[in-house]
Amino acid sequence: MFFRFGSALVLVVLISLVGVAIEKRNLELRRGLSRQHYRMDALHEQYAHARLKTQQLGAPERLIESIDASELKARRPESPVEDESRRVPLLHWQRAMPRTK
Amino acid sequence: MSTTAGRNPLNEFGPWRVRLVVLLLFLVGVALAGRLVQLQSSRQYDLAGRAQRQRFYTESIPARPGDVIDRRGRLLATSIITPSLYVVPERIDDADTFAGRLGGAIGIDGDWIRRRVDQHRDKQFLWIKRRLSTEEAEAVRRLELPAETWGFRNEFLRRYPQGSLAAHILGLRDVDGIGRGGLEQKFDHILRGRDGERLLDRDARGRVIGVVDVTEPPQNGQTVVLTLDTVIQLHAERALDALMEEWKPKSACAIVMDPRTCEVLAMVSRPTFDPNDPSHVALTAWKNTSIAAVYEPGSTFKPFVVAWALNKGIIKRNESFHCEHGEYRMGARVLHDHHPFGELSLTDVLVKSSNIGMAKIGEKLTNAELYRAVIAFGFGRKTGSELPGELDGIVRPREKWDGYSTGSIPMGQEIAVTPLQLITAHAALANGGRLMNPRLVTRYVDELSEFDEHNLPGESTAPIVSQTVLPEVAQWVVRGPMTDVVSRGTGKKAQLEGYTVFGKTGTAQKPDPETGEYSSKLHVSSFVAGAPAYDPRAIVLVVADEPSVGHNHYGGSVAAPAAADILLKTLAHLHVPSDKAASRAALK
Repeated sequence: MFFRFGSALVLVVLISLVGVAIEKRNLELRRGLSRQHYRMDALHEQYAHARLKTQQLGAPERLIESIDASELKARRPESPVEDESRRVPLLHWQRAMPRTK
Repeated sequence: MSTTAGRNPLNEFGPWRVRLVVLLLFLVGVALAGRLVQLQSSRQYDLAGRAQRQRFYTESIPARPGDVIDRRGRLLATSIITPSLYVVPERIDDADTFAGRLGGAIGIDGDWIRRRVDQHRDKQFLWIKRRLSTEEAEAVRRLELPAETWGFRNEFLRRYPQGSLAAHILGLRDVDGIGRGGLEQKFDHILRGRDGERLLDRDARGRVIGVVDVTEPPQNGQTVVLTLDTVIQLHAERALDALMEEWKPKSACAIVMDPRTCEVLAMVSRPTFDPNDPSHVALTAWKNTSIAAVYEPGSTFKPFVVAWALNKGIIKRNESFHCEHGEYRMGARVLHDHHPFGELSLTDVLVKSSNIGMAKIGEKLTNAELYRAVIAFGFGRKTGSELPGELDGIVRPREKWDGYSTGSIPMGQEIAVTPLQLITAHAALANGGRLMNPRLVTRYVDELSEFDEHNLPGESTAPIVSQTVLPEVAQWVVRGPMTDVVSRGTGKKAQLEGYTVFGKTGTAQKPDPETGEYSSKLHVSSFVAGAPAYDPRAIVLVVADEPSVGHNHYGGSVAAPAAADILLKTLAHLHVPSDKAASRAALK
């Protein structure tokens, strides 16, 4: 009688302990899952900071000298390259043509 | 013994006491049952709701504002999270000490904090400083102030990694994250996104156990892809800075456009500001002079009148005009040219920028056709760019035009235009007469993990197109007179080695504020240039308002060198091949 009672008691206690363990595990997983939400936010934020930093470091304003050196082969001439064929007052007389009214 | 053994012990208290206890227990039972029924029926929803509120907490998930990037994927505006500091005035005991320590950590006057706390003693929440730097936040944490008296709340801070570059186009976001000015204002609804919500589980003390569910995912703001090219923008800004340094005008602007699509590659306005530091901006710097300033275009307007007259068959390409040796009477007014020209071909009327020649073309056109030309090239109304604050320009009603208008309009007076209107109309000439609305935004995209210029997701914006003049007329004006303006006319300083440049100078007189008449000292100097003339890939407009150094304020002197610099660097950046050989072959 005593043995049966004891066994039943142990069984109940064991079931309770297993229940508690499962519940704790459940909570732990939920907590882990919750952390993932915030971890994702934190990673997005880290990405934004890193992207901002790289863009600041690689901004054309910082690299413009090398951009100029590598890209610009042509240069604006110091003086006009084409000789001016006519001088001021630069009239284009067309006496052969009829005068417009 | 027998008598005591046979007695019921309860009888010692008397039967009435037992009955009383039983009755009381019964009544208590009834009361509890009644209360239970009451709670379960009449107050069920109220209590269930209260329990829900105690257990669950809905947290807002702020939507990340969208980025702004240029056509090559370079970041122009983005957002990062920064802590903002608040205090709980109701729970602060010693405001003097509290304010003094806090002020020292974040660089704010302690007295100001104390006064604010004292003024709002009954409040549970009071901002002290928004968007702290990392160092300031760390300094506050190190103070170890009582936990219940202060806290941080995360807020998005808008950052512009290219600094003041394209500041007028981008605009900025105010302390509440609302777009102010530029594209930040125009596309606020796209960039802002929509906040989400998640349900949190709390214990009896209100501490969060975990996230139950994301009930509504946040919709982050979309990324706005601009037509701007940061490198071209930078070249334009540097050229304009050099112009400002050399000529010291009141303001200046430069616009670079792809005439084939009317996409704006660069738009610069001076003076400018740094959107990362909006607290130190001069009042004059807020204005985007490319769209929010109007001026009389002067000679840069002449090609439109010529093109319209040719298109209508009112004049011919080989026609010539007698320019009356510099003096021409139109009604009560005598028109003057800057040189005493005689007979000039149509080409030379533009190349030499003869006002009298243009007035004679105006007389042939009449006011009715001049008005149609002005409207057809898009003046007097907004261009349809995406920028807020754009002006219409000024085109007086047709009924108010008189004999003066016939002479004034062809030489770019009596109307006022914005620089964006002017370059858009010149782009129409450069692309065969098709007038398009200028565009600053190519598309909006949701997520952009990898940037591919030629394969971007999202919906692209399309231009609105209208034909103004016949393609052959537009091409003749660009490849003929406007190319000659640069090769042998007033725009020689815009010549480029390797490219056939077309252009037109403009030197508009401004009204003297004292006399109300045109001033001989106040000018708006402008120059519009494009290349290659036989297949224009870029067109540039530079406008300087009231250059104050020196006496020669002609557009060909003030604006042409800057325009040429910008044009050359733009063509090089776009890898446009030299066209000199091709143009010579075409001429032969």
